[in-house]
Amino acid sequence: MQGFLIAFVSVLVGGGLAGATVVGLVDSQTAPPEKSPANVSDPVLEYGTTS
Amino acid sequence: MRFVARYAPAAWALALGLLLLGPALGPGYLLTYDMVWVPDLALRGDFWGLGTALPRAVPSDAVVAVLDSVVPGMVLQKVVLLGALALGGLGAIRLAGRSTAARLVAVSAYVWTPFVVERLWIGHWPLLLCWAVLPWLVVEAARFRGDGRLGAALPFLLVVGSLSANAGVMSALVLLGVGLTRRGAVRLALAVVAANAPWLVAGVLHLDSATSSAAGGVFGVNAEGSLPTPLSVLTLGGIWNAEVVPASRTGVVLPLVLAGVLVAAAVAGWPLLRERLGRRTMDALVASWLLGYGLALLSWAAPETVGGLAGHVPGGGLLRDGGRFLALCAPLTAALMAAGAERLAGRWRELAPKVVVGVAGALLPLALMPDAAWGGGGDLDPATYPDDWAAARAALADPPPGDLVVLPFTSYRAPTWNGGRKVLDPLARYLQRDYVVNDQLAVDGRLISGEDPRVPAVLDALQEPDATSRATALGRLGIGIVARETDVPTSPAYDAPVAGTRIFHGASVDVVRIDAPVALREPPTSWVVALSAAWGAFLLLLLGGTWNVFSLLWSRMRTRRGFQ
Repeated sequence: MQGFLIAFVSVLVGGGLAGATVVGLVDSQTAPPEKSPANVSDPVLEYGTTS
Repeated sequence: MRFVARYAPAAWALALGLLLLGPALGPGYLLTYDMVWVPDLALRGDFWGLGTALPRAVPSDAVVAVLDSVVPGMVLQKVVLLGALALGGLGAIRLAGRSTAARLVAVSAYVWTPFVVERLWIGHWPLLLCWAVLPWLVVEAARFRGDGRLGAALPFLLVVGSLSANAGVMSALVLLGVGLTRRGAVRLALAVVAANAPWLVAGVLHLDSATSSAAGGVFGVNAEGSLPTPLSVLTLGGIWNAEVVPASRTGVVLPLVLAGVLVAAAVAGWPLLRERLGRRTMDALVASWLLGYGLALLSWAAPETVGGLAGHVPGGGLLRDGGRFLALCAPLTAALMAAGAERLAGRWRELAPKVVVGVAGALLPLALMPDAAWGGGGDLDPATYPDDWAAARAALADPPPGDLVVLPFTSYRAPTWNGGRKVLDPLARYLQRDYVVNDQLAVDGRLISGEDPRVPAVLDALQEPDATSRATALGRLGIGIVARETDVPTSPAYDAPVAGTRIFHGASVDVVRIDAPVALREPPTSWVVALSAAWGAFLLLLLGGTWNVFSLLWSRMRTRRGFQ
């Protein structure tokens, strides 16, 4: 019984981790690019943007 | 099994470092935002703190310049980056007690965080070194409280953790917070002062230019995605620059899950951690966490106040990038996560559930921010400098008198040879002379002025009507060499022909020697004396640490002989 419980919990935890990873990967692939491409013709490059 | 339990956490710390850096460890130089490494950084007067600009890179530049005369710059950069990440993970193990599950969780909770990833991507490597030594400083400070000896490791940890002003302040706070006792107060305070003396003294000498633009409020922490700023900061994220935030942090679900796990682990692990670390160390860690979180939130809640402090109080600029202070939160956060996992694993006697807790807890931070892996999915590709840069450097082996200015006179570049990634212009560091660089920063389309009084003067000189008068004006500012990057976008405000003798012409760089009289900069004798004393104290601390290492080795050898 205990072995079954451990296996069950392992599958649950593994599933949770896998789910979180998938959500993270989907987020990272569908979000706008985190680094806005530099405007190479602008002499003053932005150090960064706050939003 | 005992072997695995013993070495798995350390191996995990190294593995996470390798996974975070990924391609950055390949041949070439990782050049990203403020991270500029060159093949051989020549030691020059300004690196000691004698320049006209606020000494932001004191003592880190001088330390690198000395070390890369022994180890090539390319190798040194990888050693520093991988070493920092691994050292941080190993330090977290020291805060996590004896449970292997807890140790694995501690490593992940300390290393795989938005703070580490964002600061790596923006290139704040001295800050990462500070973050890496903080857990070690906690352990060493607690030991010092007991035996009153500085020991062999503490001086080196303190130096490594104090390579920039913010870093030095945080290392000092943690060390003094945990280790200060009436008996050892003087020794500990002297060690802290010695480690921070170079930037402290250089900062005091530049007091007249030690205020930054009041517009520096833009550097406060920000919400990442839909998560409110206080929650973003709670999960050690919220860097001001949205360009270096991993995409997985811009959703709401994963950061929210992380926040929930952190709170649950803190509640569960608190009693256990307090019992293990003792009240004094725990109180100091809590105080550090509150201070770090408070300063970070202050930069968000009151950006005008922080900007005003930076603009009017010398040294107030230290507070403007409030997210840096989240390093102070990292040790307690990781230790609580580990203690929470230990308490959870302790509910079972069998090994299997403990393994599940350890593995799941160790993988959870990775699952919540998977796009940090492999250098942000390959974004951290190292670059190779153009061939003619080395030739330009060789042409300046016997340089004419005066400082160097690089045109176009702008601070950041996005070279094609760096994959279009932004980086602080590396050419001035690549060449060997003291230099003037434009310290104005463009953020959100606004230009934030810097502190170096020579920068507006150089911009004015470039507006002179002809090349000869520009050369004369630059010469009056102590500039004797003008390097021009010919593959960089330019505009008349930042670039104009300067008369002189061309001493190098390459595919992407031209170097001109100004023939007009150059008013050489001579630092005041008082500056030289003060900085010599500061660097002397810094070296003395290192010598003290070295002496302690030899003493330790000697006493161990004698003990071993005694047993034989």
